[in-house]
Amino acid sequence: MFSSPTVRTSLIFTAIAVVGLLFADIAITSANPWKDLGRFFLGVVTPDFFSTEGLATALLRTVAFAFVGVALGSVCGFLLALVYRAYPVRIFCAFIRAIHELFWALIFLQFFGFHPLTGVLAIAIPYAGIFAKVYAEILEEADPEPGRLLPPGTGVISAFLYARIPDCWVQMRTYTAYRLECGLRSSAILGFVGLPTLGFYLESAFSQGHYSEAGAMLILFYVLIATLPLWVKPRLLPVYIIGAPFFLGEGMPIVWGNVARFFTQDIVPGPLKGDEGWSGMGSWLGDLFVTQALPGIWNTVILTQIALVATGIIALLAFPLISTHFGGPVRRTSGHVFLVILRSTPEYILAYILLQLWGPSMLPAVVALALHNGGIIGHLIGRQSSTIILRPDASTGLNRYTYELVPRVYRSFLAFLFYRWEIIMRETAILGILGIYTLGFYVDNAIQNIQFDKAMILILITASLNIGVDILGRFIRRKLALQTMPTC
Amino acid sequence: MSGFDLKGLTASFGGERVIGPLSLNVHEGERVALVGRSGAGKSTLISLIHQQVEGIASLVPQNLGLVNALPVFHNVYMGRLDTNATWYNTLTLIRPFAKDTREVKALLTELAMPEKVWIPAASLSGGQRQRVAIARALYRRSGLLLADEPVSALDGPSAHLVMKLLKDRFATSVIALHDVELALAYCTRIVGIQDGHIALDEPSEKLTPADITPLY
Amino acid sequence: MFRVEVNHVILTGFVKRVRKTLVESHGKKKDIQMVLNLIRKLALTSFLVFVGSATASAQTFVFTAIPDEDETKLVERFRGVAEYLSEQLDADVRYIPVKSYAAAVSAFRNNQVQLAWFGGLSGVQARALVPGSQAIAQGEEDQAFFNYFIAHKSTGLDRADTLTDDLRGMTFTFGSKGSTSGRLIPEYHIRDIFGEAPEEVFERVGFSGNHTRTLRLVESGTYDVGAINYKVWEKELEDGNINTDDVKIIWKTPAYPNYQWSIRGDVDENYGEGFTDRVREALLALDDPELLESFPRSDFVPASNSDYEPIESVAKEIGIID
Repeated sequence: MFSSPTVRTSLIFTAIAVVGLLFADIAITSANPWKDLGRFFLGVVTPDFFSTEGLATALLRTVAFAFVGVALGSVCGFLLALVYRAYPVRIFCAFIRAIHELFWALIFLQFFGFHPLTGVLAIAIPYAGIFAKVYAEILEEADPEPGRLLPPGTGVISAFLYARIPDCWVQMRTYTAYRLECGLRSSAILGFVGLPTLGFYLESAFSQGHYSEAGAMLILFYVLIATLPLWVKPRLLPVYIIGAPFFLGEGMPIVWGNVARFFTQDIVPGPLKGDEGWSGMGSWLGDLFVTQALPGIWNTVILTQIALVATGIIALLAFPLISTHFGGPVRRTSGHVFLVILRSTPEYILAYILLQLWGPSMLPAVVALALHNGGIIGHLIGRQSSTIILRPDASTGLNRYTYELVPRVYRSFLAFLFYRWEIIMRETAILGILGIYTLGFYVDNAIQNIQFDKAMILILITASLNIGVDILGRFIRRKLALQTMPTC
Repeated sequence: MSGFDLKGLTASFGGERVIGPLSLNVHEGERVALVGRSGAGKSTLISLIHQQVEGIASLVPQNLGLVNALPVFHNVYMGRLDTNATWYNTLTLIRPFAKDTREVKALLTELAMPEKVWIPAASLSGGQRQRVAIARALYRRSGLLLADEPVSALDGPSAHLVMKLLKDRFATSVIALHDVELALAYCTRIVGIQDGHIALDEPSEKLTPADITPLY
Repeated sequence: MFRVEVNHVILTGFVKRVRKTLVESHGKKKDIQMVLNLIRKLALTSFLVFVGSATASAQTFVFTAIPDEDETKLVERFRGVAEYLSEQLDADVRYIPVKSYAAAVSAFRNNQVQLAWFGGLSGVQARALVPGSQAIAQGEEDQAFFNYFIAHKSTGLDRADTLTDDLRGMTFTFGSKGSTSGRLIPEYHIRDIFGEAPEEVFERVGFSGNHTRTLRLVESGTYDVGAINYKVWEKELEDGNINTDDVKIIWKTPAYPNYQWSIRGDVDENYGEGFTDRVREALLALDDPELLESFPRSDFVPASNSDYEPIESVAKEIGIID
């Protein structure tokens, strides 16, 4: 069994995570973590829907930002997908999607300020990068035969509209709808940096210990996501997309001079602005690298590796909850509800909650990342396991789990896990904003100290790290011949 | 100008020669049937000819090349995308013009499936899909037809109906057929293919089914 | 005008559709009416702003404040200030809440707000970025502000005249990263007393986010020790929000200048000659006891940029500003 490459890869990654644990800062530092957790759950079961008038507005804004951001992102992503063959375009897309929505928001906040455009672009830009990649893959896979049969002299656009798009349409629509769900999550967490979405109120309610209020917001958010197929109908879509911009809120007017200033002054590295010029760049960069980037990278990588393995464990434990091969309909329904909650809660919110309850260390981040990502992968392979038909006299219970199901789903499980590797790293970096010493912590520091030049360099380093892990993940998936569909 | 004269045709798969070298001269007005065992190289020859004549022909490939997500109308309309402006094609995608609808419907009526005009190609049966590909070739209105087993999924009467239509509408045609009766009935010249070479090339009135059988 | 018509039609259509779906699914007329009114209100305001943003916003005088305390408190306090100022200045005055000190500074720098209630450090940072901007008023108490270091009962620490070596190896929380009383002053004193960076003195160093959070985190024992602005401590104590059995003061810092109202240098140009003076006068004349109590300050007194030089030099010393 140990000769199988998938098992060997799993063991190597587990070993790395175990070694990482030795270096990681894992602790519960709060004196009464369970009392606080209890109070929080009490708040969730006694939600207070009427405490704040902001709640309905926050939900509406969350939806509006998601719609406008995802719509804009998908249009731009589609256009990019058309020229995705060009190498520079690929690099550009990899780059813009490697930067997390919150980082984009932090960047735009510096010159657009609290204008709706900040939130819209923070979603639209990374999403455009992702859409470009996925749309390009879908278009690539379309049947080439109809295109070959077209009469010579057919216009490029006509050929594309008739021979390409119709074949890809359903897949593109499904993926876009799925992205809308991701967009709702992204939109919600933008509130944590000050945009008027759910996160804004959630953070306020939480930091003041108003758990019933926070509980109400979370519940409404789950309902919003769970009922997505009911209220997002293709026929209503134009109405939503045209209507959404009106519900983004007013914000503050844009002062265009700030935009120019940001690009020509703020992000120009310190030494270049002063007298030192290029000669001072070496020591400036070196200092930044040693004191901030390196510790940030180290912590980000360690946390990512631990969270990756923890995600795998949670996913393997969670998938039987919805698999038709275990338990009755009641168990499965509650399993579904549980997994929907896990995967609808953005890592950032989960980590924020756990950090408040357990005190600061890597532990809340690991648990948050593992629960969210494990919930997603558990859901996907659980669904897949239900399509497996077992022989009538198949073993039951634990034997069924270990002999019949796990071996059959293990390859796609690994495929999803390696696909999400880069996503986990992106999130790990961003969790630094909450006070864990990953790259996001140093980016946030630089921004809080109004040192945008340093912030930009650190964001670029974060993006490169993500791109690196993405390439490595793809390499491993190719090496093990694992195939997967995109998830977010 | 729908005849052609091709010399030194060859094709290889994985280093192994599957066709030729062979030459084929088809005059305008000729209706050629390619016959022979499956795997003899008929399909390869059809696509070779298609490449050589640079797309002036209407092609009905074996896998039909339909866009499954589009309705029958648009699949047929695609045969003439080159003659209309892009804006016209785009509008047609959203809402077809009455003139085109009439024309396509008339074609489908001749093929005995007028009621299917707005049905997506994905939900058609094998025989219906084949007729849509044929309708597309007819709609194209070129003088030369290249067809690879165009009636393989049709029952007897429908096969005759389609073969007659193809005979009437195309001045010149090269059709790969495994049905010897149909080949003799609707084509003027029979070309037998064996191991990638021409093993028989005679006018059909000189042949009987018995002359062709050894090829199989 | 044409655009307005079209938009209105779309919105009405949207509202109708929502009403239809709601009626079908629930049938509770009152709830629906409430939701509909809300949607209508939101749509209308957003819409008006959308159409009129170019013209109306130029006249609105906007201010913000650093988020050093619980948001509800801030909103309550500064809405009062907004009302007061708009009455006094006879202008449209609006308060916008922000989520971080840096966001307050950026908004000030970007001219999205013209006036701000800054801490000592954020004020210095902001004024350095906006030429001509000036500190115009501070609280009576801000002239000699100080901090408390507080500790959880489990540490067994007692009040002393300085920070003792007993603190080594404990956990410690600042307030916000950009805060004067939550970060700058405590860090300065920790470095001064121990001769080391906070990360070396303490086993774990965190940033709670604001003073109220610092209090709660130390009170619950999540952190052993924290640094808190004395005004927040006293206000919470007075309101009965502190369990003094669990948390107590262990040290009081020396005094330093803190909070102030800062205004941009181009305000006179954009809002009329003498506007800065009018704002200053209005703030100094603020004597509504309830409003003052919400800060909490006993009075506002004049301030100038030079009052904050000590803060600037401390910030440079520990490398927060270049």
